[in-house]
Amino acid sequence: MEISPDAWVLYEWRGLRLNATIAFTWVVMALLVLGSWAITARLSEGERVSRWQVALEVIVTTIRDQIAEVGADRPRRYLPFIGTLFLFIATANLLGIVPGYRPPTGSLSTTAALAICVLIAVPLFSIGARGIAGYLRSYVQPTPLMLPFNLIGEISRTIALAVRLYGNVMSGTVIVGILISVAPFFFPVVMQVLGLLTGLIQAYIFAILAMVYIGSASRSRHRADDPPPNETGD
Amino acid sequence: MQIDWLTVAAQIVNFLVLVWLLQRFLYRPITDAMARREERIETRLSEAKAARAEVEAEATRLREKQQELEASREEVLRAARQEASDLRTALEDDLRKEMEARRKTWETHLEEERDAFAARLRQRAGHQVIDIVGRVLRDYAGSDLAGQVAATFLQRLADLDAEAREKLSDAARRADGPARVESGVPLEPSARSRITRAVHEHIAPDIEVDYREDDALLLGVRLTIGEQTVEWSATRFLGRLETTLDEVIEGSSRRRSDRAPAKA
Repeated sequence: MEISPDAWVLYEWRGLRLNATIAFTWVVMALLVLGSWAITARLSEGERVSRWQVALEVIVTTIRDQIAEVGADRPRRYLPFIGTLFLFIATANLLGIVPGYRPPTGSLSTTAALAICVLIAVPLFSIGARGIAGYLRSYVQPTPLMLPFNLIGEISRTIALAVRLYGNVMSGTVIVGILISVAPFFFPVVMQVLGLLTGLIQAYIFAILAMVYIGSASRSRHRADDPPPNETGD
Repeated sequence: MQIDWLTVAAQIVNFLVLVWLLQRFLYRPITDAMARREERIETRLSEAKAARAEVEAEATRLREKQQELEASREEVLRAARQEASDLRTALEDDLRKEMEARRKTWETHLEEERDAFAARLRQRAGHQVIDIVGRVLRDYAGSDLAGQVAATFLQRLADLDAEAREKLSDAARRADGPARVESGVPLEPSARSRITRAVHEHIAPDIEVDYREDDALLLGVRLTIGEQTVEWSATRFLGRLETTLDEVIEGSSRRRSDRAPAKA
């Protein structure tokens, strides 16, 4: 049984392998982009708004409000990054009910890639908000003795972020696979429904944690001393 | 649990591309559209607020104007009532004055009529009296009325006091014309000669005497020399009769005018 979709090679050309992870990622991307384009191409600014536009507006404003609730000063600045994280992970997970589909988030490569993106985005947003000096100074707060611990914390939380998402999604897929072999009729359906729920929750947790990291790193000095957020979301 | 680093790199690129695409096709259009809609709603709300404020101001203005109109209507009504009252008073005054003027005109007219009537009555009565007296004298005394008048005048001339006689003599001396004797009735030649003799005897011996008739004297004779006059006339009796008649007429007209306001 293949645990990771990385091992499922669909096409190979001169040593470059197109595995299922990348292929299904493109499917998800195409779905998101084409769906957005189809709706936003006919945007209405009047009183009469289509249902699809309302749905998109609700999604976008909800994400924006969530970002604002975490405490960011300018939610629109973080909206593309955080929103894309949520939408991509949620869509990738929800498509799991389609037969033959393997969520790309079930690959550690994908989750690692997303975690690396967060790892890079945190200092970028922090530097954009406070400048390089302000960002670097946060590593020696409250004392220079804390520098190694801050570095370890930075790396470990990135790994935790990646492994958490990978583990949850992969486990769901694995459990469904095992249950199909044990009780092929009833339990897989229940697990699929549960998988939809956990897929959404994972997307939310990943996006919110990313925002918390970015937010805590981007805040001003007196708020940077706040206690770190609870990471036991799963 | 394995990581394919090539896939990781590809996924990072995929994710960044997705971020850019969604920013291009999803977030920016949606947020821009919402911002524009909110702006428009804000604009319309502010316009509605402005319009409402304008309407309220207009309503307040109209209310005040209405109150002003109410107040001014009362004022106008009061002024109109006052004007009507003044006009009525003025008209009443005018009417009263006109009635007064008409009454005065009527009274004047009545007065004139009465005077004219009295004059005619006096004249007729005088002539009638003279006629009656003359007939009576002729029937019972064998004498004519003119003769009696002449006799009475002669007696009066003879009874003149010295001072009056002297004045008449002076007037005769200064006068360059004749002495004039006027009588209401024609005098007989004998009576004329007696009067001429009496004038020559008592006033001036050589003055010429001219005789004339004057209806106004009725029954009487008047001697005029220059500015001096001696007269005897029965008109004083007629004067008394006239006074009596006046009193009678006055009484009857007063009774009539007393009745007239009572009718009005």
